[in-house]
Amino acid sequence: MTWSATARGAQQPDNTAFTQQRLPAWQPLLSASIALPLFFCAGLAFIGLGLGLYYTSNSIKELEYDYTGSLDTGNCSACAEADQDGAPPPNCSCALNFSLPEFFQGPVYFYYELSNFYQNNRRYSVSCDNAQLSGFPSALRQPVNDCAPYQYGAAGLPIAPCGAIANSLFNDSFSLWHELPPSGPYVEVPLDRTGIAWWTDNHVKFRNPPLVNGSLALAFSGTAAPPSWPRPVYELSPDPNNTGFVNQDFVVWMRTAALPTFRKLYARIRQGNYSAGLPRGNYSVHVTYNYPVRAFHGRKLVVFSSISWMGGKNPFLGIAYLVVGSLCILTGFVMLVVYIRYQDQDDEDDSDD
Amino acid sequence: MSVIVKSATGEIYLFCKGADSSIFPRVIEGKVDQIRSRVERNAVEGLRTLCVAYKRLTQEEYGGVCQLLQAAKVALQDREKKLAEAYEQIEKDLILLGATAVEDRLQEKAADTIEALQKAGVKVWVLTGDKMETAAATCYACRLFRRDTQLLELTTKKIEEQTLHDVLLELSKTVLHYSGSLTRDNLSGLSTDMQDYGLIIDGAALSLIMKPREDGSSSNYRELFLDICRSCSAVLCCRMAPLQKAQIVKLIKFSKEHPITLAIGDGANDVSMILEAHVGIGVIGKEGRQAARNSDYAVPKFKHLKKMLLVHGHFYYVRISELVQYFFYKNVCFIFPQFLYQFFCGFSQQTLYDTAYLTLYNISFTSLPILLYSLMEQHVSIDVLKRDPSLYRDIAKNALLRWRVFIYWTFLGVFDALVFFFGAYFVFENTTVTSNGQIMTTNTHMVRRLWVCPFSVFLECITNKIFLENIFRCDSSVCFVSSSGSLPPLCSL
Repeated sequence: MTWSATARGAQQPDNTAFTQQRLPAWQPLLSASIALPLFFCAGLAFIGLGLGLYYTSNSIKELEYDYTGSLDTGNCSACAEADQDGAPPPNCSCALNFSLPEFFQGPVYFYYELSNFYQNNRRYSVSCDNAQLSGFPSALRQPVNDCAPYQYGAAGLPIAPCGAIANSLFNDSFSLWHELPPSGPYVEVPLDRTGIAWWTDNHVKFRNPPLVNGSLALAFSGTAAPPSWPRPVYELSPDPNNTGFVNQDFVVWMRTAALPTFRKLYARIRQGNYSAGLPRGNYSVHVTYNYPVRAFHGRKLVVFSSISWMGGKNPFLGIAYLVVGSLCILTGFVMLVVYIRYQDQDDEDDSDD
Repeated sequence: MSVIVKSATGEIYLFCKGADSSIFPRVIEGKVDQIRSRVERNAVEGLRTLCVAYKRLTQEEYGGVCQLLQAAKVALQDREKKLAEAYEQIEKDLILLGATAVEDRLQEKAADTIEALQKAGVKVWVLTGDKMETAAATCYACRLFRRDTQLLELTTKKIEEQTLHDVLLELSKTVLHYSGSLTRDNLSGLSTDMQDYGLIIDGAALSLIMKPREDGSSSNYRELFLDICRSCSAVLCCRMAPLQKAQIVKLIKFSKEHPITLAIGDGANDVSMILEAHVGIGVIGKEGRQAARNSDYAVPKFKHLKKMLLVHGHFYYVRISELVQYFFYKNVCFIFPQFLYQFFCGFSQQTLYDTAYLTLYNISFTSLPILLYSLMEQHVSIDVLKRDPSLYRDIAKNALLRWRVFIYWTFLGVFDALVFFFGAYFVFENTTVTSNGQIMTTNTHMVRRLWVCPFSVFLECITNKIFLENIFRCDSSVCFVSSSGSLPPLCSL
């Protein structure tokens, strides 16, 4: 049997670097002179970034007022008491008074916040019909089974919009009043209720079904409103551009939150005299308290916030960067000490050999 | 082994060849003593010896032989035994012809290979069918035994003088009192004052050790024998029948530490041990392809074993173990946040990630980096591995897949998962991240926007993990920092 080195057999594998494991490889060999500056630089960079983020976050103003009205907080307690047995009577209204000690830099964003409300519950979050909400006429009167038990109404009529998310639409409404100094009458602060939903939601995902004889109400004939709604969907707002499925409050609500404590944008304050911000003084929020939260021990709050390049007020990222940066620098120092201490030892050993 | 031939003139002869120890007993005529001394001299010089004998068969004798063989060949029961008995009967009363000696030169770089393997912590045993003198000479030539190696003999000669028990006890006393738990391999042969032991054992002695006894003392002999072997740097087993070679391999495989065994051979008589060992390697050589056909790997030359084990074996082990550990790690990292999320969604099985991410995570997002790693990774370059065989000890005894390493990776996975989940949770809790005030913390059917940013962070961290492991090589403190430090910079996107 001959073993010829030159004849290339049919089974012989390719003699390339790839197939013969001869690819060039490189590995950085970290020494103290690379690792130490790296740690120190990284630590300084993180600390710098952390400080920047932290101070930016601190400079953002945020005010929260709980208006659930449980007996200890005092506000809106009458409506809250009515809520204890079920939904409060319609149009129960209350007022929330607060005062701003200093100028609140605008534009000011007005949110409502709910707590202990699990919009991320799986059965809840699948309970809607996207085809119906996209305005397809065929889907309007055939809501999907996921919407059950909010699929068909009492009279057997299909519910539009169907599902639990739509049914639990937040229906408190707010108005902000400013007391003109000195102790003058209360003036309403104009709230800009447009542009609070995502552009894609408003213009792409949610669309009204095609108008019938120019009327939205006729387009929805043969459907019923969700059981908890006082008015049908085409009467959500007097503004014809903001009613039906494209109503901004409705769209904001349908975009379910990821955590049990969440905020949703209600309005922006950037019109008229208040476009620069809210001057100091006394304010009052008039709340139409409709939404019952006592049953699941939830809380309702209104939040005023200003926005910066990093969004709302959140010191966490700044603090995280500061912590990691200091850990980096601390580790760098420890390594430096170890290096200095044992460097001499190494030199001694080397010189012995 | 015999052959029966008929000459042109019609005479029938039986020619027999074999080892001297099996031919001489059957010989009744010939210059036995002369040839015996000649054979011994040849053996000491390292030549492989054989003796040849013959006898003449008459027609009746031939007929009888044929009948005997035929009866044995078609026997339905105990065919092997009947054949052996038939051969015994036929091959006797022979006339000695002479002896042959073959110089079986060592393959090139055989000594180098064996030395490298010993430095790498691999115990090298030689199992051969040759005479003791031949085999010992060969072992000296290939540097299995050094000049200062003290040879201990467990051969038939010695057992004739003392009982097996005594021999074993004496050997174990000699060897074990030196060791404690230090063996020569631990010091990789650097210490000169450590006495080096080599054991020579005979096929007959081995069968005595392995023979089952009524009082169960054979298991003690085996244990004792294995203890002695463990303390010796090299073992030479000579006069081994093929089945005995397999027996020894089996004995080692099931000994206390369950070592991984590799058998390499080039002839048909090595097939049984190649099949028995964990890894069988056949050398395609002058003795045909029988060994290669039965092996797991076939190599053209013995010297290829060095690169095969020290380079390729090392690479493959590191790659596979990292692959396995990484797979567990990335899935822990992936699913643990999902588990944590249940505490925040009312335990309603809401998924943290979109279905697309769930499906594609293992298939496309995290598959390519580790695939390339496990195909190409060279943690140490090839020439360094070849130059320094003791690097092979880094992976001895399955070092990278031990419990401790696995728990380290799992703990790292849990830590990373906690950082990912709670980092994202606190960053996105209650805040807006857009400049027009619209809320980003929303989802529709599955949590999407909230977790896309941390998901991409998380992906980058997972893929960087390979990179980091490569650089930092299980330097745990640095990994700690780098894993936690990777979240903020990537989250600020």
